[in-house]
Amino acid sequence: MSDKSTLFKFDNISVTVEGKQVVNSVSLNIKRGEVHAIMGPNGSGKSSLSNALMGHPAYNITNGQAALDGVDILGMAADERSRAGLFLAFQYPLAIPGVTVANFMRTALQAHRGKDADMADFRKLFKKKMADLSIDPTFATRYLNDGFSGGEKKRIEILQLSVLDPKMAILDETDSGLDIDALKEVSKGINEYRNNNNAVLMVTHYQRLLNYVKPDFVHVMMDGRLVTSGGPELALKLEDQGYEWVEKEFGQKAEA
Amino acid sequence: MNIVTDSKYMIPHQSPALERGPAWLREKRRASQTEFNELPLPRRGLHLWRYTDPSGFMAIPDSADETAPSENYKLVEKLELDHLKSGNLEALVTDFGGRDIKVSRSGDDVTKGLVISSLSEAANSHAELIEKHLYSLIGGSSGKFEAMNSALWNDGIFIYVPDNVEVKKPLHLLREAGVEGSIQYPRLLVVVGKNASLTIVDEYGGGSSDFRNGQSYSNAVVEIIAEQDSRLRYISLQRQASGMQSYLTHRAQAQAGASILTIPLVFGAAISKQNFGVLLDGKGADSKMYGLLFGTSRQHLDNHTLHHHRAGMTTSDIDFKVVLRDKAMSAYTGLIRIEEDAKTCEAYQENRNLLLSDSTRAQTVPELEILNEDVSCSHGATAGPIDPMQIFQLQSRGIHEADAVRMIVSGYVQSSLKLVPEDLRERISEFVAHRLEDI
Repeated sequence: MSDKSTLFKFDNISVTVEGKQVVNSVSLNIKRGEVHAIMGPNGSGKSSLSNALMGHPAYNITNGQAALDGVDILGMAADERSRAGLFLAFQYPLAIPGVTVANFMRTALQAHRGKDADMADFRKLFKKKMADLSIDPTFATRYLNDGFSGGEKKRIEILQLSVLDPKMAILDETDSGLDIDALKEVSKGINEYRNNNNAVLMVTHYQRLLNYVKPDFVHVMMDGRLVTSGGPELALKLEDQGYEWVEKEFGQKAEA
Repeated sequence: MNIVTDSKYMIPHQSPALERGPAWLREKRRASQTEFNELPLPRRGLHLWRYTDPSGFMAIPDSADETAPSENYKLVEKLELDHLKSGNLEALVTDFGGRDIKVSRSGDDVTKGLVISSLSEAANSHAELIEKHLYSLIGGSSGKFEAMNSALWNDGIFIYVPDNVEVKKPLHLLREAGVEGSIQYPRLLVVVGKNASLTIVDEYGGGSSDFRNGQSYSNAVVEIIAEQDSRLRYISLQRQASGMQSYLTHRAQAQAGASILTIPLVFGAAISKQNFGVLLDGKGADSKMYGLLFGTSRQHLDNHTLHHHRAGMTTSDIDFKVVLRDKAMSAYTGLIRIEEDAKTCEAYQENRNLLLSDSTRAQTVPELEILNEDVSCSHGATAGPIDPMQIFQLQSRGIHEADAVRMIVSGYVQSSLKLVPEDLRERISEFVAHRLEDI
């Protein structure tokens, strides 16, 4: 297995929402085994990029290419992208009342394996993954995200990551709304998921998740563009000095 | 064959139904006949009839033939008899066309004192109870079609639970309408004694399965008296065939401290109009209604609920859920009325409509008549498609779009079903799944 081969590559991606451009010609090349972080102030287009790559119907990719493991994904519906190995952990997961976490996970895994695939191992696998993430077993029979706290929702997102074991994981503000214990559990889950054949793209406003999940590359997004990239030290600089210097150096603030 | 309807129809004096039963009952029938003949058709201007044409329910009984039950009826009867044999039911009552009432009870495990019989038998064996309660909630003066049933019902079902008797297993009533050309007037009277408890599944099936080949017609009346501190769970399942014109009026009285849970489940018929009402007549009485309606093709489904608070410190809650696809239509009107001297009441009502295609129509009309200020009351209504973000979220986990829709709808109906006995809940989940197969 060629360790350092490209896993997820997108070029010149531009995104509009309701006709308004929110991402402007963004490119990234992510190799197997790597962890990338996209940081940026609120409204810089980080979440829009993540949702658009996953196939969110409200985000329209107007230009660019994206390939996962050499396969073009932009022509695929969201479910096909998922089955091709792409995953997005949501910033604000919605409740699906009446659908239990276990039933949902089983259906999702069955969709990945194919409808005739054997699911005899599901119960055991699911139980183990729940235990690994210190999720109370009673969550299995609770309705997905229905009445869950912010931290519980994020943990369940990481549970989904862990059960589906995708090639490429995009984590959208997975650290937001977490207290320090939950942050540690969630980080542990992400680190357990990582290996030399998959990759992680973390989208975050703050540096604190990066203390627990060490990025190889940090990119800064501003006004819909990736404006600069560097190593982990870039995240520390942003933590220390805020986004002002980025704005001064790279910002193209649209004056109203 | 087809049913003849006539909006000016009068019940003739020589109608044989009027001669059934003891003298007091014949008198009631005659009185109902008079009411029917004198009452005009309901006015379309009223909320209750704004969405459904009453003349469609004016079927002429003389035009009806007695017909045989459908194949499906035998299947369901067998299924429920199996449930009875395996000890999941207290009793199974089959009612064919409001005429032929048959009671099957579990041999060795019968709740003592519980009476289950046909109304015609009970009119003799429990004359006092029947005379006291039959027509006490729904009679000739209740409305045009209630008067029609009250005059013309042939036979019905009577259930009586004596004071302090707890009936642990559900009682299943299986009512089958005849095929095209048939007319039936099912009738049910339930009396739950003081501090007694009971679960009833009241299932309406059968009827014409092709509207164009001829309809069949059903006009049902349900009267329930829940005496002091009693507990009743009443599930009404309407899964009649697609050529059925169906009318049902239900009234339950909750006396002091009684609690009634009513679960209307509406799946069937071409045109269905139902009216479920609970009268909260004693201090501390409580009523909950958790309804589910699922309309497909061109079904026209009209439901009214009433919570009438006639005593203080009474509570009521309604959650009526609707799912529509194709060109189905639902009209829901919900009236909460709180009388002036009924202080410190709580009443809530919610109607949610999930619309799975653009050509469905959903009407929702909350009506509040609150005659004193010492109450806590709220109502809400929503109508719209599934949130596309929910679909995307499930799709993003690899689930096909159609499967995501099925999951979300199946989940949406769960809250209405969680208090339905397990055997039935499985069947209802299957109905729902079946209606979503080709989505």
